[in-house]
Amino acid sequence: MTIHREEKIWAFFVLGMVVVFLAALAYAAWGLGLVTPYTVQQVPAEKALEVLKPGVDCINPNVKKVVDNVVVCEDGRYYVNLIAMRFSWLPPNIILTSPKEVKFRITSTDVIHGFEIAGTNVNVMVFPGYIAEITWKVPANMPAGKYLILCNEYCGAGHQNMYTVLEIRK
Amino acid sequence: MASTPKFLWEDRFAKTAILFSFVLLALGSLFGLVQALSRMPGALEALGLKNVITPQLYYTGLTLHGVANAILFTAFFIMGLAVFVVTRDLGINLHGPLLCLACLLAVGGTLVAAVPILLGQATVLYTFYPPLNANVLFYLGLAVVVVASWIFAAVVLYGIYKWRRQNPGKEVPLGVWGVFTTIMIWLFATPPLAYEVLFLLVPMSLAGIPVDVLEARLWFWYFGHPLVYFWLLPAVTLWYVLLPRVLGVEIFSKTMAKVAFILYMIFSTPVGLHHQYVDPGVHPVFKYLHATLTYLVAVPSFLTAFNLIATLERAGRARGGKGLFGWVTALPWFKDPVFTGLAISIIVFGTGGFSGVINASFQVNYVVHNTMWIPGHFHTTVGTGAALSFLTASLLLIPLLFGRQILSIGAVKVAFVLWFIGIMIFSVGGYISGLAGEPRRTYAPPYLNGIQLTGVYLLDLMKSAATAAMSGALIFWTGGAILLATLFFSVFFGKRVAFSGEVKLSPEPGPATRLDNLKLWIVIGIVLILIAYSLPAVEVYSQGLSPAPPQPP
Repeated sequence: MTIHREEKIWAFFVLGMVVVFLAALAYAAWGLGLVTPYTVQQVPAEKALEVLKPGVDCINPNVKKVVDNVVVCEDGRYYVNLIAMRFSWLPPNIILTSPKEVKFRITSTDVIHGFEIAGTNVNVMVFPGYIAEITWKVPANMPAGKYLILCNEYCGAGHQNMYTVLEIRK
Repeated sequence: MASTPKFLWEDRFAKTAILFSFVLLALGSLFGLVQALSRMPGALEALGLKNVITPQLYYTGLTLHGVANAILFTAFFIMGLAVFVVTRDLGINLHGPLLCLACLLAVGGTLVAAVPILLGQATVLYTFYPPLNANVLFYLGLAVVVVASWIFAAVVLYGIYKWRRQNPGKEVPLGVWGVFTTIMIWLFATPPLAYEVLFLLVPMSLAGIPVDVLEARLWFWYFGHPLVYFWLLPAVTLWYVLLPRVLGVEIFSKTMAKVAFILYMIFSTPVGLHHQYVDPGVHPVFKYLHATLTYLVAVPSFLTAFNLIATLERAGRARGGKGLFGWVTALPWFKDPVFTGLAISIIVFGTGGFSGVINASFQVNYVVHNTMWIPGHFHTTVGTGAALSFLTASLLLIPLLFGRQILSIGAVKVAFVLWFIGIMIFSVGGYISGLAGEPRRTYAPPYLNGIQLTGVYLLDLMKSAATAAMSGALIFWTGGAILLATLFFSVFFGKRVAFSGEVKLSPEPGPATRLDNLKLWIVIGIVLILIAYSLPAVEVYSQGLSPAPPQPP
């Protein structure tokens, strides 16, 4: 049982690296608030549409305005209720004006889907039977424009058609 | 006449398993080509394949690609290889009739599962997440394969146990360390899978009983991650055993190789939640615990990298390599095909190790989860690190086991080059298009292949990276096809060769060390699993289940 000196140095180096990486992840999670999705509320899959009304709303109802049928929250804090249903997202078009913090509440009426906004941190599994709630802290420098919302978990023969566009206005 | 009569049953088993694994790889890879073509923007239209490669064909083929390549090719090859290594390294006979039974059940189960897949009644992909529902034969066929693997595992473990009793005080040979830890990982991993399949999915398929998604995913991924180490460890075994053999040197450190095997074994199972980082309903602290253990299972890979590179340096210097890097060029690149294939596997696996650490990184995972990044990653690990090592080892197994020469070493070398270039383009392209958001496991999406969307953030990057990745896939596929065809036809048409004398793979075993206390490592492995999985299991079950009714795909 011989262990070379170089190997001991390497093993300690690797362990040190592991500690540094894990500390960075923990800091990002609980120091900067970038924790993985957690909160759920149970709901029977077939009743999802009754319990969770799809649409955009304001976290603070006092700052809510409706301009040309688009909900605008002056403090930039939104609720978005989403239903994933083979093979579409409800509501089909989402427009957010100067969003700062968006709480997505999201569930499925049928099978597992994946909710992703391409190029952002938003990526959460969508389960029938569970309403997930995630908070998206929108980066201040995020450019206005169109973003792709897509389903990233295989959900059936029309999975590839399950996408829509999120519009960010400033 | 290579198969010494001493190992008649064992070699029959190994030959059947390895040959069957080639057939499965060929079948599964054929559909890899379908996937690549469907993802190249415009390719379907341009080649007039839009009506041939339909979404149904794509998803059926994707199910087959995953089941045949990732689960069955690997399992059959590994079973054949394990029997070869154990018989040659320990010089023992295994229980022939039971091996035969395992072989029949495994092949039978595969055929039973294949029928509903080919009929399009099990298009649930190889992760078969409920409530997507498949024909019950799909689940039952896979269950039979798992039972066969348990019989096989019992036969091999009993052989090792008997050898240890007859040889007290001797260390377990290095190759057998690899076989032992591979089988233990499989035995740790499969009971919850059997529970999921037999108690959740079969009742769902037969009687329409609803299934709780969180419960099913918890047990699927409990199995899903050790599965990848079940693929990897035989490849690592080949690297540790064959590289020093073909280069004519001793391994740099046998001790650290054993340490790596032990660490792989105890850390590879209690990490499954890292596939569920973006699942709601699982506490972040538990996910972080699994992230920690995942980082620890990267440690043996780093130790292996060091050990192998040090061994290569030793071999390079023995060949007259001088200076800081002279030993690299002194190695027999392209002169020795076994060395070349294994070296390419190790290099490509190394790149996949880095993307793997990124996947493992807790919240960083949400920029890559379920995107093309992931196929980019695992085609470097299981798709090359494991698969190319297995095919390279076949360059030795075909003469030693089947008694045939390889038809064309030139073709093998061409295949290596195409494979290496192709996989690097495929994986890097996949990483980039994945970061731009391209989803995995999706038939030609309209936003990628059509022109309906303009001015969407990152979409242009996604399109060009997807095209690059898929052209890499075509190169990679061509290399694989040449290699597999050469091996397959060598088994039947290669010139017959005869070997006299014994074949030994591992270095001669010395006296047993403290590391050879196998029971201790098994107990530690079980304790870690209990700690890591009791917490999320209590959470999932204590909040009450919320089952969802089954849905056809």
